[in-house]
Amino acid sequence: MIDSTTNSRFSTKQLIVIYTIISLVGLLIVWELVARFTSASMFLPPASEVLAAFARSFVEPIGQHTMLAHVGVSLYRVAVAFIFATIIGIALGVGMGYSKLFEAIFKPIFEFIRPIPPLAWIPLSILWFGLSDTGKFFIIFLGCFCFITVNTYDGAKNVDPELIGAARMLGASEKQVFFKIVLPSSVPYIFAGLQIAVTAGWSAVVGSEMIQSNEGVGWVIIRGMSTGNTVQIMVGIVAIGIVGFALANITSALERRLCSWNAQKGM
Amino acid sequence: MKSFFSKHKYTVISACSFVFVLFIWQLVTDILHLVSPVMLPSPTKIVETFWYKLTGGTVPDGSSLIQNILSSLKIALGGYVVGVIIGVPLGVGMAWSRRFELVAKPLFDIIRPVPALAWIPLMILWLGIGYASKVGIIFFAAFISATVNSYTGIRQTSQVHLWVGKTFGATNRQLLFKVAIPTALPMIFTGLRLALGSAWVALVAAEMLAATSGLGYMIQISRLLGRPDVIIVGMITIGFVGLLLNTVLEKLQKKFVKRGKKA
Repeated sequence: MIDSTTNSRFSTKQLIVIYTIISLVGLLIVWELVARFTSASMFLPPASEVLAAFARSFVEPIGQHTMLAHVGVSLYRVAVAFIFATIIGIALGVGMGYSKLFEAIFKPIFEFIRPIPPLAWIPLSILWFGLSDTGKFFIIFLGCFCFITVNTYDGAKNVDPELIGAARMLGASEKQVFFKIVLPSSVPYIFAGLQIAVTAGWSAVVGSEMIQSNEGVGWVIIRGMSTGNTVQIMVGIVAIGIVGFALANITSALERRLCSWNAQKGM
Repeated sequence: MKSFFSKHKYTVISACSFVFVLFIWQLVTDILHLVSPVMLPSPTKIVETFWYKLTGGTVPDGSSLIQNILSSLKIALGGYVVGVIIGVPLGVGMAWSRRFELVAKPLFDIIRPVPALAWIPLMILWLGIGYASKVGIIFFAAFISATVNSYTGIRQTSQVHLWVGKTFGATNRQLLFKVAIPTALPMIFTGLRLALGSAWVALVAAEMLAATSGLGYMIQISRLLGRPDVIIVGMITIGFVGLLLNTVLEKLQKKFVKRGKKA
């Protein structure tokens, strides 16, 4: 792990870039060759074809929409559910972490629901909400909500008791303790929860669209499967991967900016 | 009596709150009939169905609860084992060897953001709807957490420990097996636990799309047959088995990591 690259002609950053290009180009070449010259071509379309189809999907519609619109639909579903999950999750998490009574009332019910994977709610959500968007919001909400609640709860539980004691001693009211101490010191935990929740929400939207929908990125791949169109499946996977990557990076960049003071606190 | 209540005040409140929810649920379903049983069956009905499925009832999906659990576990553990066998060495390797990391990390980074579920259509086209394709999907779910955590664990090895090892003439291999891997063990175990969790979640999705038995299949087919009681029994079982798997690994982790520290 520590073997030195210091005697190399390149800086570490340059090395990373060079090797990233080499390995990605290598992957594409191997893929292309395998797909063109072996019997795997039955199942595996060549890389160039997938990339071309991916580029084309931005102009030519798949089903009713172009790729951008499919991504937009899926992102919209995640966003709506995510906002609800954030509001309810933070309220429940802070409440349970701060007030013993609140915890005693809600924790057993929460712990009962928590281990059930969000996708397992799909059959019930279809019965309750039909095939509408509401059902998908519900699934994605469940996917995000548990992570946010658990993390917020941890944050509110781990508030330094000396801080609370000091504030009380200096005459802070219960309300002040809550808003000036408990809530701010839970913020890093809340952010960690939001970050996991975004990724989980993206995964849940793909899952719920695969089981019930007629638009969105999950639909693109499931439609590819039912028509035997491997290229379309792979185009969908590429789009899902890119958006997932972007979401994960945006949230961690946001965290670094908004919670930079947490860096020293660390560990 | 008073001292008992003040001692267990919060436990009593918890129990009351749980019972209260169940009571309201029973009230709106079977007693007042505010909600149709097709939308939400009553708790008593669910307990009844649960008992029926548990004691070997095969209606409506063709297998009893135990058979479904075993069939799901077989798939989940199969994919999980493959994922761990590939994921842990991959993570350790990437963290230990700079050159390997440079080549392998970009490839790993492009697979990582794709949710395991998105591989389902490709796996079904490639491997059919049998055991192999489901194992493939679960492999993707398990392998990511196993790799990421092993990687982070090895990376946390203290530089000073490595220097000490080197000063005393340890070979690279000794440094890896005697210093880095023991340091990383708690993280690797956490990875194994997370991987099992995501494997279990992915399994439900895989079985909902293509299967003839298993818990995911059971809840999906019960929806088509309009049996919400079986759906809820299935959901609770899925949650419970997931929790159980997690607890088992947690116990193992406590045991192993403690031993690692003593030695």
